[in-house]
Amino acid sequence: SVQAHKEEDNPEKTMEMNGLTPVPDSYDYDLIVIGGGSGGLAAAKEAAKYGKKVMVLDFVTPTPQGSSWGLGGTCVNVGCIPKKLMHQAALLGQALQDSRKFGWQFTEDVKHNWMTMTESVQNYIGSLNWGYRVTLRDTKVTYENAYGEFVGPHTIKATNKKGVEKLYTAERFIIATGERPRYLGVPGDKEHCISSDDLFSLPYCPGKTLVVGASYVALECAGFLAGLGLDVTVMVRSILLRGFDQDMANKIGEYMKEHGVSFIREFVPIKIEKVEEGTPGILKVTAKSTTENQLIEGEYNTVLLAIGRDPCTRKIGLDKVGVKINEKTGKIPVNDEEQTNVPYIYAIGDILQDKLELTPVAIQAGRLLVQRLYAGATTKCDYVNVPTTVFTPLEYGACGYSEQTAVEKFGEENIEVYHSHFWPLEWTVPSRDNNKCYAKIICNIQDKERVIGFHVLGPNAGEVTQGFAAAMKCGLTKEQLDGTVGIHPVCAEV
Amino acid sequence: MGWEEVQVRGYAEFVRSAERYHGRPIFALFCGDKDAEGRSWCPDCVTAEPVVRKELHNLPDESVFIYCLVGDRAYWKDPNNEFRKNLKLTGVPTLLKYGTPQKLVEEECFKADLVRMLFTED
Repeated sequence: SVQAHKEEDNPEKTMEMNGLTPVPDSYDYDLIVIGGGSGGLAAAKEAAKYGKKVMVLDFVTPTPQGSSWGLGGTCVNVGCIPKKLMHQAALLGQALQDSRKFGWQFTEDVKHNWMTMTESVQNYIGSLNWGYRVTLRDTKVTYENAYGEFVGPHTIKATNKKGVEKLYTAERFIIATGERPRYLGVPGDKEHCISSDDLFSLPYCPGKTLVVGASYVALECAGFLAGLGLDVTVMVRSILLRGFDQDMANKIGEYMKEHGVSFIREFVPIKIEKVEEGTPGILKVTAKSTTENQLIEGEYNTVLLAIGRDPCTRKIGLDKVGVKINEKTGKIPVNDEEQTNVPYIYAIGDILQDKLELTPVAIQAGRLLVQRLYAGATTKCDYVNVPTTVFTPLEYGACGYSEQTAVEKFGEENIEVYHSHFWPLEWTVPSRDNNKCYAKIICNIQDKERVIGFHVLGPNAGEVTQGFAAAMKCGLTKEQLDGTVGIHPVCAEV
Repeated sequence: MGWEEVQVRGYAEFVRSAERYHGRPIFALFCGDKDAEGRSWCPDCVTAEPVVRKELHNLPDESVFIYCLVGDRAYWKDPNNEFRKNLKLTGVPTLLKYGTPQKLVEEECFKADLVRMLFTED
């Protein structure tokens, strides 16, 4: 037939159409991973351990401002790593101020140099990119810096930055393409605004900044920018940190307000115009109220959009192989073994529907998936009681249910909340706030007061939360918690 | 124009050399000093050098390959020597692309395909 002749470069399809199943060793690879981020690299390295022939495709489409980066995905290049380093830079600024009360004497005013910080951070990221290249090469995983998309059953097309196309086939695929920041869809957004994809490598200090959004990305960035001494305003459409415990979210917002971050609540930008060129220039933002008929205007050096992230699933040819996605969100639904509706295609990481968007989750899911595929394992990824931390100026660590979700699920009468304010010893001498740090646990009365939610707001929240997460995994109850003697003097003893 | 090799000994000579070739891609191999018979006190350097030399033809045009002897064993072991302090070297042999975080250390230098990757890819 005419169609069979057209598919010359794909012998498998011809055979399929003639009713024959393709022969396994006619595939180029056992596994092709599309996306070289946290999930993709973990899966690829794991598969290579079992002697499988693996290829990783990673490609970064440059941002509207032209930013791009190397192998490693969002976390390494434009996410967790640079974020935590810049958060640390801001904390060190605070520590320098505190240090005077502890007896350190220095006469000059302390100033911050954006370029020095950014160069150091980018240098570290560069060493991580290189490290991944070495590891992949060393473990015999083939890596191509090319954009992968499905063109037919078991077949993908890889296009490199020079436009050269190559076709590859594999027995199985893992989609780990992650997400990219969303834009507003208003005039001037792509031309003039930056996103987190641009911020961590910005070749000039952002200056007076408007952060649009109320996600953890927005608040963390606003937090460290303010901590570095910049004039920061956050424009929020409705609530802060949707999906997180709202009681804690509000406390985070209050703390940031009292420490130099301005908030404009219940407004959204409708137009961004450049009024002066420069690095940075001056931008004029026009915003509309979400509740009444009011318009406001403001001028800023930089506008940082952090209003959400969209999965990179719409332009990778999923329709050509029949992989179903949620048309509205772009996310991919999978079963509890990370399998899509097409049996030989799997997906992991941020693109999954109804799963947590965290690096360690993607890594765990990727490793366990590969162990099930190639090493006869049966363990599935456990998405329950995954701890997280938001690195706002006052850090917030959480594991398990938020108070509002626990009330919804178990009923207010069946949960007990224990809470406490605490004053870190290190904050006493420099006279820092004595009523801001806070911790609470949510217990299920009907199940021996089992701890089903843990929340802490204070320094080193991530370090504190990790141990509690392990305890919760073991079924920690209030009684056991009470029976554990505290370490003194540390915040965690609360 | 292809690539060229420069041989230097000690930190000061290395820095002068790197400054002279500023603007061109610079690759450097750091090894322990050699005795009168031409053998290095550093056994890993003895293994790595032929592997690296075999891949030199892959260097991009205009590159400079600086072959640098760092000093004797005692100098190298000193935790405050200038190579450790200023170039952040942690071991010999080290093969690096100057001015970038790209480097191969010790046994990594024994692997021809890693050396080739360092020389040929951005």
